[in-house]
Amino acid sequence: MLRAPLHRALSLPNLRQLSPAFRNLSTTSAQLEKIEVFVDDKPVMVEPGTTVLQAAAMVGVEIPRFCYHERLAVAGNCRMCLVEVEKSPKPVAACAMPVMKGWRIKTNSDMTKKAREGVMEFLLVNHPLDCPICDQGGECDLQDQSMAFGSDRSRFTDIQFDGKRAVEDKDVGPLIKTVMTRCIHCTRCIRFASEVAGVDDLGTTGRGSDMQVGTYVEKMFLSELSGNVIDLCPVGALTNKPFAFTARPWETRKTESVDVLDALGSNIVVSTRTGEVLRILPRLNEEINEEWLSDKSRFACDGLKRQRLVAPMVKNEKGELVSCEWEDALVSVAKAMLRAGEQTAAVAGGLADAESLVALKDLLNRLGGEALCTEHTFPQDGSGTDLRSSYLLNNKIAGIEEADLILLIGTNPRFEAPLLNARIRKTYIHKECDVALLGPKVDLTYDYEHLGDDTATLKKLASGQHPFNKKLSAAKNPMIILGGQQFGRQDAAAILAAVQQLSQSLSSALNNKEWKILNILQQVASQVAALDIGYKPGVSEIRENPPKVLFLLGADEGTITRADLPKDCFVVYIGHHGDQGASMADAILPGATYTEKQGTFVNTEGRTQQTQVAVTPPGMARVDWKIIRALSEVVGTPLPYDDLNAVRQRLTEVAPNLTRYGSAEDANYFAQATELSKSVKTQLASTPLDVKLKELQDFFMTDAISRASPTMAKCVQAVLKQKSSKY
Amino acid sequence: MATGKAASVVTRQVRPILSLSHNEARMRALALYKAWYRQIPHTVNENDFPKSVKQCRQKLREEFMKHKDVKDVRVIDMLIIKGQMELQETATKWKQSMHIMAYWKDTVNKKPTDFYSKFLEGKD
Repeated sequence: MLRAPLHRALSLPNLRQLSPAFRNLSTTSAQLEKIEVFVDDKPVMVEPGTTVLQAAAMVGVEIPRFCYHERLAVAGNCRMCLVEVEKSPKPVAACAMPVMKGWRIKTNSDMTKKAREGVMEFLLVNHPLDCPICDQGGECDLQDQSMAFGSDRSRFTDIQFDGKRAVEDKDVGPLIKTVMTRCIHCTRCIRFASEVAGVDDLGTTGRGSDMQVGTYVEKMFLSELSGNVIDLCPVGALTNKPFAFTARPWETRKTESVDVLDALGSNIVVSTRTGEVLRILPRLNEEINEEWLSDKSRFACDGLKRQRLVAPMVKNEKGELVSCEWEDALVSVAKAMLRAGEQTAAVAGGLADAESLVALKDLLNRLGGEALCTEHTFPQDGSGTDLRSSYLLNNKIAGIEEADLILLIGTNPRFEAPLLNARIRKTYIHKECDVALLGPKVDLTYDYEHLGDDTATLKKLASGQHPFNKKLSAAKNPMIILGGQQFGRQDAAAILAAVQQLSQSLSSALNNKEWKILNILQQVASQVAALDIGYKPGVSEIRENPPKVLFLLGADEGTITRADLPKDCFVVYIGHHGDQGASMADAILPGATYTEKQGTFVNTEGRTQQTQVAVTPPGMARVDWKIIRALSEVVGTPLPYDDLNAVRQRLTEVAPNLTRYGSAEDANYFAQATELSKSVKTQLASTPLDVKLKELQDFFMTDAISRASPTMAKCVQAVLKQKSSKY
Repeated sequence: MATGKAASVVTRQVRPILSLSHNEARMRALALYKAWYRQIPHTVNENDFPKSVKQCRQKLREEFMKHKDVKDVRVIDMLIIKGQMELQETATKWKQSMHIMAYWKDTVNKKPTDFYSKFLEGKD
């Protein structure tokens, strides 16, 4: 199998200068003298090692390309970027050729044009003419570039159809549809798989006209980032399988939004048509997801149409949930609330937006209820959630690239936050960065030092007696990432205290005082906003003081069950999917999903972002905060906000950072938090650290939306089948 | 200066629709009102619709009072012409009883104004 191994590609001496991502960060290149080159007679000063293509981009000339991608290693095999350089006998491949002093690059000369036409002709002679039935139509690089740079007449003579290349299609799983005859061998997918995804499954076989891109043996592409090869593919060889033959890109409406299926808040574009979400694509955000998107965020969108709650429901005398009008449902909930008085409580789930969180808190507080909890817990000993730095990813996601030693504790970032893991992998490969893991041994797609999964090791680390402490204190920018899942343990407070003490002892010895060490990787999108607003983490308070009315705001993880509640407790579910929470409810008030409301979400690094309305809520479903606002009117204490701006005004009153969209508010007071953590009395338990998501099949169905998605169910099946196969 | 001159030219060149002065328009409006007022008993008598003469005269007054603040003579003339047409349609029974009832708009739901009714309607 012919495949350029990554280490070989990376050992190229000039790669650091080749890719702009490294160039920006390298400190040495700034001292190098700039050289002058001319692109179409326009002079431009560039750093040595810049490629012709980058130099042209600096003066605003875009050279056509198929194989070159700025986030992947340079392959230089499509030859589309050939340009003429004065005094050079042959045209040069712009993507791979570093510029020399005084070069005159001609991107529009006759030689360049002829070269492009020739390359186009060669590509098209082996490419099927099936654009009318190809899903890439309208967003196809080959289509666009053949219009712009191709020849205006054909020399194709094979009208007897006896010689055009044909390649067998591959089956790489339920997410990616392959039509390999369309492949132009740009090898972007291969490079993505081996460099970014870290799964060396794709490669090429054969040579010349027999070359094929594939997996050699029939095999599923086992990656949590596999969907990105669909975006990377410049032609229709790899397309979105669930979206196949559904719509053309020019028919869909695109809404720029934010993903909520993990705690990172990846930026997305939601494509809709006729009130349906058809597909989700990534949107560029260098701070969070770069231009990638995890498979769950991309493909779980068909779960938005299934298992939806479309009408309010109330239990009748027989104990069956019966759909009814909004007024009836609100009145019966309000009656129960007035009977219960102070004994009302709420549990907020992982997909709740900040607007509904603050509205529900205001409503319950007005009635005297104080027990507002989140499903995912956090230790309340020591400083608890009072200091924001204790529950944020303080270094930010982009900050990972500056770290030189990363210690992961009790987390599997590959499946808890795939794009965070992709960042760690990027840093691991392109920089001098080592990774260590304390927790169960899992495949992170890069090498790491496994410190075991014992809590005793953590204790040793905290007291500075572990051999790894030497490495930690030698590191310039060490980073510790603690998985939010560990807070579900009995000894969570002790774990957090140990990690805080370890980070603080490292931090005091650090030269760079700005560098933070402690990072918490949250599990769900709503947690940070809920804690900022003042929700109590964990449901233990509700267990101890069983309420008479319990609100479940999209709480579907089953942290509170009927068994925890007294028999006469009235459970109200506000949410969008018929899942765990709805099944135990006495009244259901149907809400909107993240594609149907303008909602505020704060990601694990503390960055505030908002989702946008792409489609309207189905049936009688309403936006969540409006349900709570309407309910407050029936209860008799109307909340003082009628529109989104007023709710956000209220959010600003509670926590100003919640409405500063796009920015991540820094948190501080690490020393104080550590000081308070010394008062923690909990002892570390002997049970080893564990994570829920260990293998790829655990990754796909983790919340109400992805559990309702048939595509995600197919993925789980396909992964299990692949795991049992001999390849 | 130039604009002032242009404006005066425009005002001079406006063509009257019916009335040359405000007073004349007022006389026409009153005449139309009287004509309607006298027509109402016949209409109530000849058509089968659940309104009394008194209610109809109240509606007539309401419809006229809707435009009490109109000052532009041309607009008043236009409204008078439309009123005349309505009157003709009513008097000659081109309008059937339901068309007359349309003046009361009793099948049109009011648009919700407060948050709660907007919520129940599902409209923002």
